[in-house]
Amino acid sequence: MKRSSTLTLALMSATALTLAACDNSEQAAIFENVEQCSSQDGFDTLSCETNLQLAQEEHIRAAPKYSSFADCEADFGAEQCEPAPQQSSSGGSIFMPLMMGYMMGNMLSGRSNVATQPLYRSRDDSKNFRTGDNQKVSGKTGISKVPAQVARAPSTKTSTIRRGGFGSSAKAASGGVRRSFGS
Amino acid sequence: MQRIAIAERDDWKSQAETLGFSFHTIDGAPYWDETACYRFTMQQIEDDIEDPSGVIETMCFDVVARAINDEEVLRKLAIPETFWDYIRASWMEQDRNLYGRLDLSYDGNGPAKLLEYNADTPTSLYETGAFQWVWLEQAMEREIIPPNCDQFNSIHETMVEAFRNLGIPGPLHLAACKGVDEDEGTVRYIEECAAQAGLKTNFLYLEDIGIDDAGRLTDMDDMTITTLFKLYPWEWVMRDEFGLALPKSGAKVIEPPWRAILSNKGLLPLLWEMFEGHPNLLPAYFADDPRANDLTGGYVRKPLLSREGSNIEMVRPGEETLSVDGPYGAEGSIIQALHPLPVFEGNHTVIGSWLVASKPCGMGIREDNSPITKDSSRFLPHVILD
Repeated sequence: MKRSSTLTLALMSATALTLAACDNSEQAAIFENVEQCSSQDGFDTLSCETNLQLAQEEHIRAAPKYSSFADCEADFGAEQCEPAPQQSSSGGSIFMPLMMGYMMGNMLSGRSNVATQPLYRSRDDSKNFRTGDNQKVSGKTGISKVPAQVARAPSTKTSTIRRGGFGSSAKAASGGVRRSFGS
Repeated sequence: MQRIAIAERDDWKSQAETLGFSFHTIDGAPYWDETACYRFTMQQIEDDIEDPSGVIETMCFDVVARAINDEEVLRKLAIPETFWDYIRASWMEQDRNLYGRLDLSYDGNGPAKLLEYNADTPTSLYETGAFQWVWLEQAMEREIIPPNCDQFNSIHETMVEAFRNLGIPGPLHLAACKGVDEDEGTVRYIEECAAQAGLKTNFLYLEDIGIDDAGRLTDMDDMTITTLFKLYPWEWVMRDEFGLALPKSGAKVIEPPWRAILSNKGLLPLLWEMFEGHPNLLPAYFADDPRANDLTGGYVRKPLLSREGSNIEMVRPGEETLSVDGPYGAEGSIIQALHPLPVFEGNHTVIGSWLVASKPCGMGIREDNSPITKDSSRFLPHVILD
């Protein structure tokens, strides 16, 4: 990239402005339903359904979770939330926003770095789709350019079953006495 | 290199107002013009603009190193003798330069030719480094241009980095003349960059600078000025009352005094003398040099010290001579071989290649209806797209 990656105008601008260069963007396809998807040139109904299903499974994992229905509605609007299948550690109910659409790779571009995932609309920015980790995506359905960090699968809460799988090779090589593994 | 007509962003004027770009229109005529953009390949940018700009900068330093110890050269450049030691000292102490703009004639093919070096008080930094950058991001987002465009423009980042490295102790005072919107806008932007580098800054008008009984410059709060950025040419400083006091004021100035050698059109014959035949240089001579008569293919006469296209005379074989009036020229002039600007859709196009702390880092394009560009020449954005 031959240009600045960010630009800030704090003093000379009426309202402080910071913009990031839109680099490393991906072509993503965004749809609200299978009908929209399958009417897009080059998209077949089977792939549309498969990706919707993947997004719905991801929705269970990746949707923002709330312990109160009201808190969820405060962020996503009236009647925009549903109970999540999970339970809190104390056995209480958990709520999450409704999935409003899904993102998948552009089937016309072959190789794609876009993770199929659910999309949401927040109450304060309802024009735009957002990812499960609250990154703005786009307001448009169909194929559009989205920032690369948005196209990746969101980081979500999960459970760890085992740790300690790294580091044994280093210990074996050094007998445990070296202070640095850098070169 | 192509000129491509494109749609304007419908809200660019209101954005310009919000973002501190008040001089986007000059006397009712467009200055910022996004009804078209120029497209370059990455190879054109890197091989023909970026790398040669670095090479030219190096040659320029060789000229300075020679000139500061050559009284005949300093005299030819019409630099007042009282300032010779001051200029020499600033070079020997390696006072750091901040920014400059090389004006190049380039049409997409062959080597770019250096027309002049604005090494002292260049403007159009803000529109190149900031507003052009915003245009690119928004034009891609709004699908005015393809989404994978780039731009030769890391000016903003490089300016902030340069201010971090300049080692300026205490506050940086920045000054422009009162009532000159474009200059004030440029200085406000430079202040913006300095502040983002963590410097304490203080803008004031040049006319408001004071002096104390010890000969130190002072600001509006009677604080002494230790480092001064001035958007005001050295040749004028050297004639002003406070300018005469400057060498003993203890203040460091940006650009440093030695830049006066480079912002002088006498640089061009000095470069040609030292690096005759270099592909990025045009033959050039001081006007009283008999070799100037050898330039039979047309020439341009430029006063040693002139600004924004004033007092330029263009003599073209078989065509009428063009000239622009102005107040300059008393100190003498130089003759440079004619290398007309390329014409795109009837527009004469000049490339401004920016160096920040001597690093080539960006480009701005100006267009004029006439073969001689002026301060009113329109600014057009550019993209890199292979």
